[in-house]
Amino acid sequence: MKPIDIPTLQPKLRVLGREQALAIHGAALEILEKTGIKMEHPRGLEMLASAGGRVYNGDWVKLPAYLAENALRSAPREIALYDQQGNKAMALTGGNPYFGTGSDTTFTMDLETGRRRRTALKDTANFARLVDGLDNISFAMSMSNPEDVPVADIYVYAFAEMVKNTNKPMVFIADSGRDLAKIYEIACLVAGGKDELRNRPFLLNYSEAISPLRFPQNVMERLLFCAENGVPLCLPSGSNAGGGAPVTLAGAMALGIAENLAGLILHQLAGRGSPFLFGPNVSVLDMKTTVVSYGCPEWSLTQAALADMRDELYGLPVWAFAGASDSKVMDAQAGAEAMFSIITAMLSRCNLIHDGGYLEFGNTSSLEMVTMNNELVAMSRFFVEGIPVNEGTLALDAIRRVAGGGPGSIFLMDDHTFEHFMQAQFLPVLLDRSRYDVWEAAGGNDLYRRCNLEAKRVLAEHEPDPKPNGVLREIDAVVHGS
Amino acid sequence: MMSDLSALTQAVIKGDAKTAVEETQKSLDAKVGIQDIIDNGLISAMDEMGDRFSKGVIFVPQMLRSAKTMQECMRLLEPLIKEGEVTTKGKVLIGTVKGDLHDIGKNLVSMMMEGAGFTITDLGVDVTPEKFAQKAQEVEPDIVAMSALLSTTMPAMPDTIRALEEAGVRSKVKVMIGGAPVTEDYAREISADSYASDAGSAVARAKQLLNVS
Repeated sequence: MKPIDIPTLQPKLRVLGREQALAIHGAALEILEKTGIKMEHPRGLEMLASAGGRVYNGDWVKLPAYLAENALRSAPREIALYDQQGNKAMALTGGNPYFGTGSDTTFTMDLETGRRRRTALKDTANFARLVDGLDNISFAMSMSNPEDVPVADIYVYAFAEMVKNTNKPMVFIADSGRDLAKIYEIACLVAGGKDELRNRPFLLNYSEAISPLRFPQNVMERLLFCAENGVPLCLPSGSNAGGGAPVTLAGAMALGIAENLAGLILHQLAGRGSPFLFGPNVSVLDMKTTVVSYGCPEWSLTQAALADMRDELYGLPVWAFAGASDSKVMDAQAGAEAMFSIITAMLSRCNLIHDGGYLEFGNTSSLEMVTMNNELVAMSRFFVEGIPVNEGTLALDAIRRVAGGGPGSIFLMDDHTFEHFMQAQFLPVLLDRSRYDVWEAAGGNDLYRRCNLEAKRVLAEHEPDPKPNGVLREIDAVVHGS
Repeated sequence: MMSDLSALTQAVIKGDAKTAVEETQKSLDAKVGIQDIIDNGLISAMDEMGDRFSKGVIFVPQMLRSAKTMQECMRLLEPLIKEGEVTTKGKVLIGTVKGDLHDIGKNLVSMMMEGAGFTITDLGVDVTPEKFAQKAQEVEPDIVAMSALLSTTMPAMPDTIRALEEAGVRSKVKVMIGGAPVTEDYAREISADSYASDAGSAVARAKQLLNVS
């Protein structure tokens, strides 16, 4: 009888115990029960009141714990995101991690000059196309705040530009119900109709409540629209430790989770069973510079804790970040911070992991960073796959052959190596291991320069599958029309 | 006199409100002038803290603790200040623009400016251009400061400048802007007088604009 396969342990990081998780969850529920939230959308407030919320002081509403528990039960445990050609691309559930870029960067690092400049629509296009051409980056975000489009419709322009340059899933921003409706129209054109889009969504809306506990009208318009139309959504408030939330991480998490639960409650009331990606952004407000940090260990820690709370309590896929830096340039700090967040996000099994490619705490986007992250994700993935132990990998036959094969007998020549090496090892492309003189002769380039060249190559050579001309014309009509 | 005020200065620097208020009362009892107490007891402490902060020696919470301590002392002094008796570095009217509800940055700027000796009128968030203009006529500030965190709310800044023009007050004030998506170039574009990237530089720019130290 054939021996039973030895299962491969896939290393996983746990940062929070069950009691800690229960205490943070309890604190979140207490915030909702005793303080509640400020709901600035009149219909939203009515809905919460009808469902059992207790309104006070005008538009504040206290939410009993059972509303949160009900909402957690009715929200789907898997959010499936498809690519723009209708193929399932991202199974957001359990321990599946997917990495992508970020949105709303005012500046970008120019690929030719290496200087920081304002972002324009061509940058939105380039970042989308780069993501389309990188195997380990799963979804696209705008990586820009284009200055050359009318600001009232900036997110519509950005969405359309991304759609033209990638077929991968997208996480997008909108301002209010008004521009969201246009973006939705474009998405339906791509998918082939409302039902098709609802069945195979390729997009997810990123909205934010304002910590502490404030739910603005325009944000709720978007939440309600997405809930009603089955457009996947996340609502991570900026409950940053020392900023919108208490400086101690447990309290910041409790507040962010309370805000998320409040959003989820309204979301499920508006669209029971509609997809909701769970989780706040719990970074830190730097105590010297007052920036929200994108390179700090705290954010990696709190999102790992959130993933543990998913496993312990919530069951909903979680939102996270990785591959970003506070550095103003792509230097060793950028590499160190990016790797720290990428490997920990992967080890803790966060699901939708965004902001890869950010420099300057999200003010500047970098094509080189995205390119580097592509490799760092692969390297981390290799680690997380673990060490398969079986007859083939134990290689006793090969050992016998090579050890007993006399002089000149080396593993490199053996069939076993030929058959296994491509799966057995991580094969770096951009991380350089060449000998000194070879490296020098090739230009003596550092990682930044190699990523710069690779980004240029991908942009020059990679063509995303084009959309039909008819669809592109209709999209332009929505963008520029009524 | 100076040695009494140095005890006050130290208390403000340490963020020790209890001692600071006691020292303020002691100085009043010793007939030290209110302007003297403010300038040499309180503002001098905040200038020292501002200096340490810009050098990265102290953290924001420590800076703000000292600012709060100064506020406690001012609470003691305010009822005793007769109209026009005390001069400040300048009057600042500040708010987050229409459609925008973010206020952490704005609040930091307010606290730091107050600590530096400016008088602040904070209009809060989601402030319409009309409200800025109306309050500017009422308060007669030296500086109108606007904050925005969303690129979609930035257009409220040139709208507000226009409202100030229509109210006939634009030439009487200096306009300062700030916030994550705001840039130096944008300030130039909309003919604001200054841009600042954070609370510390906001204080420095405000002093420059009004030619005070």
